[in-house]
Amino acid sequence: MRRFALIRKTLIVCALVAVFALALGSGPAQIASAQTPTPNQINEVARELWCPLCNGVRLDNCDLQACIQMREVISQKLEAGESTDNIKAYFVQQYGDVVLGQPSTEGFNLIAWIFPILAAVVGLGWVAYLVVTWRKKQAAPAVAASGAPSGGQLRRPGEEPDDYMKRVERELRETE
Amino acid sequence: MTDLGYIAIILAFLLSLYGIAASAFGALKNRPDFVGSGRNSVYVVSGLVIFAGLLMWRALLTNEFHVEFVASHSERALPTIFKISALWGGQAGSLLFWSMLASLMAVVATFSFRKQGSSLMPWVNVVLLVYVGFFMSLLLFAENPFARLWMVNGQQVISVFQPTGAVALIPPDGNGLNPQLQNYWMVLHPVALYLGFVGMVVPFAFAVAALVTGQLGNTWIKLIRRWTLVPWAFLTVGILLGSQWAYLELGWGGYWAWDPVENASFLPWLTATAFVHSIMIQERRGMLKVWNMVLIGLTFQLTMIGTFLTRSGVVQSVHSFALSAVGPMFAAFIIITSLAFIGLLIWRLPHLKSENSLDSVMSRETAFLTQNVIFVLIMAATFLGTIFPSISELVMGDKISLNAPYFMRVNGPIFVALLVLMGAAPLLAWRRSGPETLRRNFLAPISAGLLSVPVMFLLGNRTMGGFVGVAIIAFVLAGIIQEYVRGVRARRQSTGEPLPTALVQLVRRNGRRYGGYIVHIGVLMVALGIIGNEFYQSEVDANLKRGESVQIANYTLTYERLDMVDGPNFTELIAPMTVAKNGRVVGEILPKKHIYDKNPEQPMSEVGLRAGVVEDVYAVLAGWDNMGDTASFKVFVNPLMSWMWVGGIVMMIGVLISAWPRRVATTAEATRRVPEGAQTA
Repeated sequence: MRRFALIRKTLIVCALVAVFALALGSGPAQIASAQTPTPNQINEVARELWCPLCNGVRLDNCDLQACIQMREVISQKLEAGESTDNIKAYFVQQYGDVVLGQPSTEGFNLIAWIFPILAAVVGLGWVAYLVVTWRKKQAAPAVAASGAPSGGQLRRPGEEPDDYMKRVERELRETE
Repeated sequence: MTDLGYIAIILAFLLSLYGIAASAFGALKNRPDFVGSGRNSVYVVSGLVIFAGLLMWRALLTNEFHVEFVASHSERALPTIFKISALWGGQAGSLLFWSMLASLMAVVATFSFRKQGSSLMPWVNVVLLVYVGFFMSLLLFAENPFARLWMVNGQQVISVFQPTGAVALIPPDGNGLNPQLQNYWMVLHPVALYLGFVGMVVPFAFAVAALVTGQLGNTWIKLIRRWTLVPWAFLTVGILLGSQWAYLELGWGGYWAWDPVENASFLPWLTATAFVHSIMIQERRGMLKVWNMVLIGLTFQLTMIGTFLTRSGVVQSVHSFALSAVGPMFAAFIIITSLAFIGLLIWRLPHLKSENSLDSVMSRETAFLTQNVIFVLIMAATFLGTIFPSISELVMGDKISLNAPYFMRVNGPIFVALLVLMGAAPLLAWRRSGPETLRRNFLAPISAGLLSVPVMFLLGNRTMGGFVGVAIIAFVLAGIIQEYVRGVRARRQSTGEPLPTALVQLVRRNGRRYGGYIVHIGVLMVALGIIGNEFYQSEVDANLKRGESVQIANYTLTYERLDMVDGPNFTELIAPMTVAKNGRVVGEILPKKHIYDKNPEQPMSEVGLRAGVVEDVYAVLAGWDNMGDTASFKVFVNPLMSWMWVGGIVMMIGVLISAWPRRVATTAEATRRVPEGAQTA
């Protein structure tokens, strides 16, 4: 049984070796000619693109056959002297915006960009509104805070403007 | 035996319904006997769920492949540790595991609060039982982990009970566990994350109880402070362990990809962090009562929404929503409980008025409030980014992807603002800071921030992100050090203690504040790791023959050979690489590939790593040829990554100090001896 398992494992490994050999492409990069892009040059473009099939996997890291082929296309296009932007545009045309990893800034997808800005305006506007309205209320005598002094940072009624050291000392004395 | 598990789940479901009714009736009619019975049902329900979980573990450990879940997620050769973690390796099992942890949390909460907050507890029990009961209903009606395999007329059938004319189908071996989960980090990561998720039900339950009973003062806030910090700590650890796993297993040199599953864990962490801070304002100033209710409600719902999004398949495609009953059931639970909570909140709105108001723009309250809003902003942007592909698919019919570029662009600037506030808030006094205080508190931190710029320049940095990031870190760190120095100095002046004693006493006596600062230091260390990885990472791809080398940064890595080793349920291919720094050999790293017997089409990378204080050398074996004559590698130098993991540990130390129970004397004694600021610590 054990021998069969070993043979099976070896077969599997051999099959995988064949797959990886394909993935490796044609020979080591060190002997690449001046025209043939190096793996690093290909990856520089691939890093800006995303696998159209997997969720959240960058093209330079994807082992899918489709992505290996996409990298080959990048290599051919680099060899033909095309720019990164041109190559990206080609893939967008082929697969749609999905390869960009971010929505376009047109049409419905613009919402994805506008919403965070709108949320920031509303959120920070709310803080500003609270600060303004609450400060107005301040004219009325404020009820003493239920929690009074925090770690020594809160001024007590009648106390002179903050003196950090004095307050820390006082707090420490109280703690003793 | 698994029948017993199923029966336990049915009983737990029915008993949780009874417990909900008994607790509510007891509280409404002031009947302690019913309240007690409701409380006891929490114990019994939890016992039953844990019993069911243990039976499932038994099935996994004894290879009961008749059980469909075991057959699908385990195998004979699976190492024991992964047989245990296989419980959360699939939908049904992970829901059962979630229920177990929720039950455990319910028991601990009910037991530890048995003498406190007596009028709140019946309603707390109601919420806990609704929560556990809901998970029981998922196990019973949507994903049953105890379903078994049968053969009826040559057809495979999955059913708990034997269908008519069926014979038991017992496969000789299981399909094995997903290779991605066969990693030690994946044993720990889900446990920590789930504890964080389920832990958030306790503060939520108290919030509901406070709303129902109308006890809306600070009592509930004080009771649940630690019960929020602990799940928050688990969430933090869970997220960092997940990042560690991604860093070591996925082999792309990164640690966070902003994918929906990661975002699902991050969303409640953001609102929980806001909540941990904003409850301080309620305790000390009686402000933001509604906001705190909203934050804890959001946090709880986000633990459910995140789970719903990733489990229903809705994120992958809107069309997969109805494929399993889990999605619709989660959706119904979230909608109903949210509406109920909002209803309660509106009903109690008149009683949630602020006792104080903001005195000044330059106050800690304003800084906290802004920080809170920023946390919620990041949450909203991340949430939108997570669900937007589905919305776009629904509206436009086209699928788009929102990955790291989007999230970094949107969240990056907000995070920068957040870090600045983290440094500024502790330097601002409560209520208002005068110009003199501002000058005194901010002078050193701002100077440190500014000084870091020329220092970074001299160190060779030319990246804007590096200048900004390090300047902010220097600013925040200097502020924290200043707080410590002043505290210790004041203590030494008043008590004459030697420096180490003064430092220890300072932290011991006001652990909440100084522990909090330690958490902030941990955050800075994590930020340093992020800066290192984002702005200074080097990467190179190389196809190497045996004995050939590749250069990256100051390092030369030489590919030695390819070894093949038999593992318990996988074949391991190891490609040792000698690492030389500036020409001197400093060690060897072992990039590996695991090819699992049951999933050979999904080989897993085990990165070769040489971790260091300054930088990690990180290599991934990408492929090989002719039995290793040639191999291809992705090699990275990731500066400062270790700081991220150490930062996580420092954060936990800070939380421990902050949440550590202090000796509580009698109430009268405590009031007499301890100033109020320390009481809440």
